[in-house]
Amino acid sequence: MPEQKKIQNCELRLIQQDITDFEVEAFVFYAQPNLELGAGFGSAITRRGGQSIESELKEIGSLSVTEAAVTGGGNLKAKYIVHAVGPAFQEEQIEEKLHTTILTALKKAEEKEIRQIAFPPMGAGFYGIPLDASREVMMRAFEEYLSQGGKMEEIVICANDAREYRAFQSAF
Amino acid sequence: MSDNRATQSHKAKKLIERMSKKLNRQMVGSMAACVHCGMCTEACHYVLTNPDDPTYAPAYKADRIRKIFKRHFDWTGRVLPWWVGAKSIKTDAELEELKDIVFGKCTNCRRCSINCPMGVDYATFNRMARGLLVSVGVMPEGVAVVSKDQWEIGNQMGVLKEEYIDTLEWMSEELSDEMDDPEAIIPIDKMDADVVYSINPREVKYDPRTIADAAKIFFLAGENWTMPSEGWDMTNFGLFSGDDDLGGAVALRLYEKVSELHGKKLVISECGHGYRSTRCEGPNWSAHSVPFEMESSVLTMLRYIKEGRIEVDKTKNNVPVTFHDSCNNARSCGLFEEPRELLNLVVTDFREMVPNRSENYCCTGGGGAMSMTEYTPQRLKSAKIKADQLKATGAKIVVTSCHNCVDGLADLIRHYKLGMEVTQLVNLVANAVIVPEKIAVEEAATAEKPKEVAVEHSLEKFKILVVDDEDDIRLYYTVLLEDNGATVIQASDGEEALKLAKSEKPDLITLDLNMPGKDGGEVFEQLRKDPGTAQIKVCIITGRPELRRLIYNRPVPQPEGFLDKPVDDSRLLYDIRKILEVG
Repeated sequence: MPEQKKIQNCELRLIQQDITDFEVEAFVFYAQPNLELGAGFGSAITRRGGQSIESELKEIGSLSVTEAAVTGGGNLKAKYIVHAVGPAFQEEQIEEKLHTTILTALKKAEEKEIRQIAFPPMGAGFYGIPLDASREVMMRAFEEYLSQGGKMEEIVICANDAREYRAFQSAF
Repeated sequence: MSDNRATQSHKAKKLIERMSKKLNRQMVGSMAACVHCGMCTEACHYVLTNPDDPTYAPAYKADRIRKIFKRHFDWTGRVLPWWVGAKSIKTDAELEELKDIVFGKCTNCRRCSINCPMGVDYATFNRMARGLLVSVGVMPEGVAVVSKDQWEIGNQMGVLKEEYIDTLEWMSEELSDEMDDPEAIIPIDKMDADVVYSINPREVKYDPRTIADAAKIFFLAGENWTMPSEGWDMTNFGLFSGDDDLGGAVALRLYEKVSELHGKKLVISECGHGYRSTRCEGPNWSAHSVPFEMESSVLTMLRYIKEGRIEVDKTKNNVPVTFHDSCNNARSCGLFEEPRELLNLVVTDFREMVPNRSENYCCTGGGGAMSMTEYTPQRLKSAKIKADQLKATGAKIVVTSCHNCVDGLADLIRHYKLGMEVTQLVNLVANAVIVPEKIAVEEAATAEKPKEVAVEHSLEKFKILVVDDEDDIRLYYTVLLEDNGATVIQASDGEEALKLAKSEKPDLITLDLNMPGKDGGEVFEQLRKDPGTAQIKVCIITGRPELRRLIYNRPVPQPEGFLDKPVDDSRLLYDIRKILEVG
């Protein structure tokens, strides 16, 4: 049973779902500064989404940590992908940078008139941010964004497995 | 003080902080107990093949980590660092140097550990050091790729769910056809099964025949079994990368899926590190109490024969075979005798290699080494001792119960030109299994029409483009495929292949990866991107399996098949018929 709650006028939902195979207006991909899609979700995006996404990324070039860019979703079920370059591997000021990254991703999505967006547990897993820290920072960033007039109507957190799902349940 | 932490890089500080959380009694004991007697030196395959290079000695490698431990966590090193050789790690360059030691000069095979009179388990703290480096983002590129695939896609080869399900359905159809029985299928997500079968993603990507072989055995044994649609990967790269969080997450996915299906027993296909991770280490990493039994498929198959649930005819496997003990199955989990017992039931000529069991040498591809291409030259050099060991058996086939070992052994067999094949017990059991009379009668009825069968399986209407820079390989494929009815055209390099693909429009291309000029990866991507050739089916055939990842990372649909060189007649024809949907 998916968890859900309202923050301001935005519906926040928690589901267990492969984010790259999710029908949503946009989802966030935790990107690297060189914007190469690489392995993991990046590989799934490449293989399911087709070549247009990579071509758009080549046009953009590279980004710094906390920056974000939007591309189309190619053949994916999502219309857009927000490529957000987050911090990784215990780097300095990791939580502050993660917070800024989430806000940047939401802002970039808004610029494209996106109103429904899915996030993975940001920075958790491969990039080493503990799930509890990821949840705390994400929830704080969503509340800050929405309390300052953010226009997103629905935010979906896509847990990749039951372990991630359970870690986020306490936020609902 | 020379080790003042203010001079340390951020990553070095974080590594030391985390080390304090990872040290346990076993590791501290191992850190403190070494007396530098040199016994480990004689046990390590890296040292035995690099006798003039002391940096390969386990004691030397261990000292790189022990110095840090002593400087920060042992009172002698804190008070008298110069006396006990304590030294911190300070710069990012030193982290890179440590990376090349713990990832590039050790496969964590634990042969040194069992030969240490002081009980020092170097592999345990080598693994810890790997994990510390991974936690600050210092790791070989291949380790990053595989880890990310397993974290995010759920298996370490990035197999998407639809690809996995397609493969199971394909193998299920094969089984139904072979048994001529619509009930002979691979059940997916069946509730309350007695056996839930988990596999290595390598089986899906490169060797689906092992899935079909296992399915045939389960079917003939009358097993109430299933395969899960998710959480099916029993491998665990956390064992190799030292990332306990990954180890726990991966193990938990599998355990929870079996529980969700109410499975009574988890059977783990033949994979050394998968067995150790799932059966032995996973419950600790995941802090999960596993409520069902877990078993290697080697034991399952042996039990089926002993209980009379399947019958085998060992004369069907009459080529001389030897057995390679996987380090994780044997040294770490004590699986010594069961594979031999099974092997003796299904082959006529089994020859032990020497040394064997816990003293066997590593395949040299363990510990994730096959994913770290930057260390390939030193890996293959260190494989000399394994090559000599294999050659001395005089066997034609080496059997192993580990997919990592399959790749490691196949690579060194190619490198040292040993002319041997590598296979697994499941393949030998499936080949030796006697199909019961009811099914055999139906098979016999079909067999009465050999000409019709031959026509049905013929490649007569297909045009195949063979691409390889080696003349003898092109000739071998061409003769074999033409003998089976195909029209064959040949290209010896990438440019010619692209040209012929456009002009001749073949039904299938067999494509070598490692060619001078335009390599197979580039050719493949161009074929897929060109609307005129995008639909042509492609089977990659490579002698360098580590290059396969270069194909998977390309932003185009995947090839229809993969084969490793050397490839035998039956394997080549089997896979080509599958791809072309013949028979």
